[in-house]
Amino acid sequence: MTWTLLGWIFIGLGAVILLVLGWIIKLKGYPPRRMPAIQYLQGSRVAAIERGRHQQIVLGHQLWSRVYPGLGLFALSVLPSLLDPENLVNGDQAVSTSDGSVVVFAQQIIQGRYQEGFSTSLHESSVRAALPGPTPLSFTAGLLADVQAHPHGSLALFGDYGPEAALWAMSAARRGGQVFAAAGSIASQAVLYLELRDLLLGEEVFMVPGLLAPTSLNLAGLLTEDILRIGLILLLIAGVILTLVGVV
Amino acid sequence: MKKILGIAVAIIVGLVVLAGYFFQSQLSPILALVFEWGLVLIGVAGLIGIGYLLAMHMRKIVRWEKRSFFSIIVLIAFLFAMIAGILLTPQNALYRDLVLNVQIPVETSLLAILAVTLFYASLRLIRVRGWTPMSIAFLASAIFSLILDLGIIQTGVGTIASTVLAFFERLPLVGARGILLGMALGGLVVGLRVLLAIDRPYGE
Repeated sequence: MTWTLLGWIFIGLGAVILLVLGWIIKLKGYPPRRMPAIQYLQGSRVAAIERGRHQQIVLGHQLWSRVYPGLGLFALSVLPSLLDPENLVNGDQAVSTSDGSVVVFAQQIIQGRYQEGFSTSLHESSVRAALPGPTPLSFTAGLLADVQAHPHGSLALFGDYGPEAALWAMSAARRGGQVFAAAGSIASQAVLYLELRDLLLGEEVFMVPGLLAPTSLNLAGLLTEDILRIGLILLLIAGVILTLVGVV
Repeated sequence: MKKILGIAVAIIVGLVVLAGYFFQSQLSPILALVFEWGLVLIGVAGLIGIGYLLAMHMRKIVRWEKRSFFSIIVLIAFLFAMIAGILLTPQNALYRDLVLNVQIPVETSLLAILAVTLFYASLRLIRVRGWTPMSIAFLASAIFSLILDLGIIQTGVGTIASTVLAFFERLPLVGARGILLGMALGGLVVGLRVLLAIDRPYGE
């Protein structure tokens, strides 16, 4: 068996499981999962609206990278679940990134959500995508200035970002903001672990769409990830045993 | 119709690129074309992103929000860098000196602030997380790794101590690989969700 064939099997198996589970869950239902960090995120967003404070969603620094190829797309796929009618009407929410293509996609998603929720003739929402800086550190300078100018009620971090996230989190928390992070890169996981209690690490990060919007297909995504994870663990254990006994 | 067209294009391009990883020789001409178009589009998106940056600062100045003065500085610096770049070209030594001698010290100073912040945060770890097994393990492994990196622990070649030391030195790499495997699985599921049009990050 070649690596190519193994890759095809894994991807094909993932697609089949995702579709079959989506169909089964649609027919029979499946209880949504609860995770304290996600409940904290939802609570902080409600509190921000009630206290009339600003909300910020950060979508990371790049759409695609070789080490973390899925993080940019993941950040964009979370965005629709965070654009509920209350937030679109309230409008005191910004979506920021330091990547030009992510900001274009984010603006499209915001406009699409607004049209879906209200009327197709309306396409102006006061929620806007912003690019505070085109590099990670210029973005940090822009975001920190924004956090100081408007007291943030909620700061949610998604996507591919580095250790500079510690500065964003500390700055927002010091001004009474509630910070949630789905930390993708290893560097951001390490630094945010020091600062935040409500933090998602590793593969948990990719569960956010299914936890925020538990539709049948999103829940199927969660289960597919679980099944593939167990499959991979079993494969690794089998590989170790076969190596130890000298078969491979 | 517009929505369906977008979804169809995304799925077809996604499947072609995916197939290209496995059938490189057969699909390389198509892949080269797709990647070239992708690069052009990313370049255009980058320009639009700069437009967003300028629009944000102009809005701040027009509304005369708090700290609008800094937005004026950003716009002046941007115009200066852009005009100088057009007139001198980015390959020009003077232009590179002008930009890099500002950008590198500023970014380095931010990194220095980050280092101090992280040191402070690590001192506050127990106060933030309490004496949990995870926080104790995190702190102990950080201190242990720092001591190992200093190179003050020396062992003889082929001894049990050297094997134990090599094991501890490999631990961070093992942990990182574990996390990266999990991330790869998550990335795979995200890719499948986009290919099956469950998620539409190119616009709702």
